[in-house]
Amino acid sequence: MRALSIAATGMLAQQLNVEVISNNIANMNTTAFKRQRAEFQDLLYQDARTAGSTSSDAGTIVPSGIQLGLGVRTAAVYRMSGQGNLISTENTLDLAIQGKGYFQVELPSGETAYSRAGSFQMSPTGEIVTADGYTVLPGITIPNDAAEITVNASGEVLVTLSGQVTPQNVGQIELASFANQVGLQAMGNNLFLETAASGTATTGVPGQVGFGTVLQAFLETSNVDVVIEITNLIRAQRAYEMNSKVIETADQMLQTASQLR
Amino acid sequence: MENALFIALSHQSTLLRQMDVIANNIANSSTPAFKVDRMLFIEELVTTDDGQELTFVKDAGIARDTTEGGFTNTGNDLDLAIHGGAYFVVDTPLGMRYTQNGRFSLDANSQLVTSQGDLVLAESGGPIVIPPDALGVEIAPDGTVSTEDGEVGRLNVVRFDDDQALEKAGNSLYAAEIPSLPAPGAVIVQGMVEESNVEPIIEITTMLHVLRAYEAAQRIIDTEEDLATQTMDTLTTA
Repeated sequence: MRALSIAATGMLAQQLNVEVISNNIANMNTTAFKRQRAEFQDLLYQDARTAGSTSSDAGTIVPSGIQLGLGVRTAAVYRMSGQGNLISTENTLDLAIQGKGYFQVELPSGETAYSRAGSFQMSPTGEIVTADGYTVLPGITIPNDAAEITVNASGEVLVTLSGQVTPQNVGQIELASFANQVGLQAMGNNLFLETAASGTATTGVPGQVGFGTVLQAFLETSNVDVVIEITNLIRAQRAYEMNSKVIETADQMLQTASQLR
Repeated sequence: MENALFIALSHQSTLLRQMDVIANNIANSSTPAFKVDRMLFIEELVTTDDGQELTFVKDAGIARDTTEGGFTNTGNDLDLAIHGGAYFVVDTPLGMRYTQNGRFSLDANSQLVTSQGDLVLAESGGPIVIPPDALGVEIAPDGTVSTEDGEVGRLNVVRFDDDQALEKAGNSLYAAEIPSLPAPGAVIVQGMVEESNVEPIIEITTMLHVLRAYEAAQRIIDTEEDLATQTMDTLTTA
């Protein structure tokens, strides 16, 4: 009896759905977190009676066959790349990207990771680093005697040294963009890695065509909408229950059959 | 004498298949643009040698309920819902396939693809390419795809004379052996996704009905068995 295994695929799918939703809700307050959504597709079909086959010598054609579906599968867990809200933090090294693009971060392995979470800090040597201490490329060092740090919309880092009036340019923050940013691989800690699906990174200056602008003293919030998540959670739970009901019924039918004398 | 048994059996085996169809409907209640399958039963008339007319149950086919599912707002620019019984055209390794599941995304070459990575075709027969530096994508109700720099293509949207002639090919795709026709009346809604048209109440009540019918058929078989046993007893003890 297929109904048992079909309902099992349904329950597994809803279980994954709840896992994705709970991860979204758990990351509600994670800087620049992008909510995910599970995508489902129907599994393959078995032909019990093929449509278009002839049903008599006179050439009568069966108008619709019997195609028995085998359940549901998860096609993808898709990341929704919509912009999160921007909130003011009054912290000079908090940077938010308004529009497209990612900050480039150098991992200890030398690889480049990409991130939209711009809650940066300063290393003991004055370099701009992420909360985990990874260098933000292309490596900008703030002089020790800096009185004020300004990052403008196009990513230029300007420093006013104590006792001086004119700010001096100490570096330029570059952004990376991808043909298909949904294809990036999440590696945790707000970092993403390039994949074959994302395409290679194109770097550019904030504000350039195809890149967003940088906003100082702001952070991008997650784009999780609690109302959407909770409604999805309710729907997933009901769908799960229905599938378990199918298993119950199929089991009762099998029980009836097994009581044959 | 044993005809009643076989008739009940024919009913039971179709009910088992109907249960599979219902299970598949419920399992796909979260699959975008999934269309409910309904089993069609017919009576198969058989005349025996002694002129007795018997009717067996037979499942003649599956009819797809092509009613449009509800549209849900997702706010994702590449989510498209299609209204008016039309289909998007997808180029798969197995040939042209058609879909109403408009949850599309871009691939590494900025081409519009399904979640399987198959190309969604434009009217020109080629892919829809969104330039990587585009700030936004606007998809008009008639399927015209444009960015701030102008039109980049128009989605190929088709319809069929007989939706039932399409075969489900899994992965939200349909295969067609009949020719596709242009669908000028189709309306594409950007940022929305068509839900499945599974009605939980209908599915659950049909399922209960199937269960009870199955049990009833079982009782006929049991009764037949009793009759046969009694007959044997009467004859052997006489």
